[in-house]
Amino acid sequence: MRKYLLPLLFIFLFVIESTFALMVAPTEMFANERWFIPHFLLGAIMLLVIFGSKKLGLLYAFIFGLLFDIVYTEIIGINLFLFPVVTYIVYQLMKILQNNLIVTTIITLFGVALMELGSYGVNFIISITTMGFSDFIFSRFIPTLILNLIFIIIVIFPLKKYFERYVERLSL
Amino acid sequence: MPQFFLNKRLIILLVSIIILVSLIGFSLRERDSVTWPEQFLKDMTGWAQNIVAGPTQYIAGFFENVQDLQNTYEENKELKSRLDKLAFLEAEVQLLEKDNAELREILEKEDSLTDYEPIQATVIGRNPLRWEEKLTLNKGTRDGIEANMAVITANGLIGKVKSAQTFTSTIQLVSSKDPTNRISAVVQNGEKKEETFGLIEGYDEKTKRLLMTKIPYDAKVEKEQMVVTSGYGGVFPKGLPIGKVVEVTPAEYGLTQTAYIEPNADLYDIQHVMVTKLNSINPEIQKELEELNEEEES
Repeated sequence: MRKYLLPLLFIFLFVIESTFALMVAPTEMFANERWFIPHFLLGAIMLLVIFGSKKLGLLYAFIFGLLFDIVYTEIIGINLFLFPVVTYIVYQLMKILQNNLIVTTIITLFGVALMELGSYGVNFIISITTMGFSDFIFSRFIPTLILNLIFIIIVIFPLKKYFERYVERLSL
Repeated sequence: MPQFFLNKRLIILLVSIIILVSLIGFSLRERDSVTWPEQFLKDMTGWAQNIVAGPTQYIAGFFENVQDLQNTYEENKELKSRLDKLAFLEAEVQLLEKDNAELREILEKEDSLTDYEPIQATVIGRNPLRWEEKLTLNKGTRDGIEANMAVITANGLIGKVKSAQTFTSTIQLVSSKDPTNRISAVVQNGEKKEETFGLIEGYDEKTKRLLMTKIPYDAKVEKEQMVVTSGYGGVFPKGLPIGKVVEVTPAEYGLTQTAYIEPNADLYDIQHVMVTKLNSINPEIQKELEELNEEEES
């Protein structure tokens, strides 16, 4: 049973993102002017690659990137490419940097920022969005970073413990 | 130079960029239906979304109820004033409907473009990245939903069905920036009983208005006029309310006009929708379709 807990966790995060977008984001409280984009799944995958194993993290990034494209965006390729690339960059950065909770939080947030910028770039090129760059920064990029920072701060400690134990058990 | 080509990571990156571009190209072309592995994965996710959406909707509903209670007094006052007019309207509608049915009988015309069968559905998910506004519904082809059907809420048109799977379907909102997302619409001029045709295409994110283009340059479109679907696309029923005209400007080359339309329906907070299943399609289009089929067969 414990073996299946990790995939289940990621599937749960995958689904909860769409529910979050449906329930929380469009309420009047946020005045519809700001986009709070949840990157919970990517955040957890980045934490997995930092605290857990590289192989497992990249595999999950690849699988869920593909799943994300098929189910939500219907344009196959964008997230399939961005998820593993961002995860890999974060992994390489963490090899150089100190492995403590504050640095990890900042680097994970940096990964989210990369993801947002990357997906803005691709969507702008294929003209799915016509949002200007300054609009993007103020109404989408900054709110999204704030939301995901809150998420990372909440989950970083429990996930660190869980991933480390999971990998330990795998190597036994 | 040889070292450049021997760099394994660089080659992986280049190859994946090529794959990325070709995959995007593959999915951007107009597709009538999604492939079966995609359908399967979407249905599976839909099933999981259903499980999660239930409790969250319950909790969100509770908070909304509390908010509603605060506004009850004022709403009640306003509703009472409208209730008086309602009785008159109802009587009038009944009369008109009866008239309409009788006239139709005289003309021996049974089906009309306005007739549709609503299929109730609940929204269970939304594209979290929100570059393209796409929603997932909890009903699919099993309940009669097909691609390209119009989707409405109680207030008006919100979009169309992009793709339908067995148990779920994906809808695209009118605010989506997809160049293939066009709706044939008509501006109603109440007093003169004139109709002006145009196309709804595009959405201005800042002002939250829809763009109606290809309006003839000599047509007199004014503020506050209602815009409804024309039914000439062949897949949307006629007369679904879209919104109100806010502003009219000449288009780029002055050959046509562009109207800015404030949508009737809330395009952000959507929970329950109706998918309109048309009872009949435009006879001209049906004829064309039949001809096409015959050509293909022969």
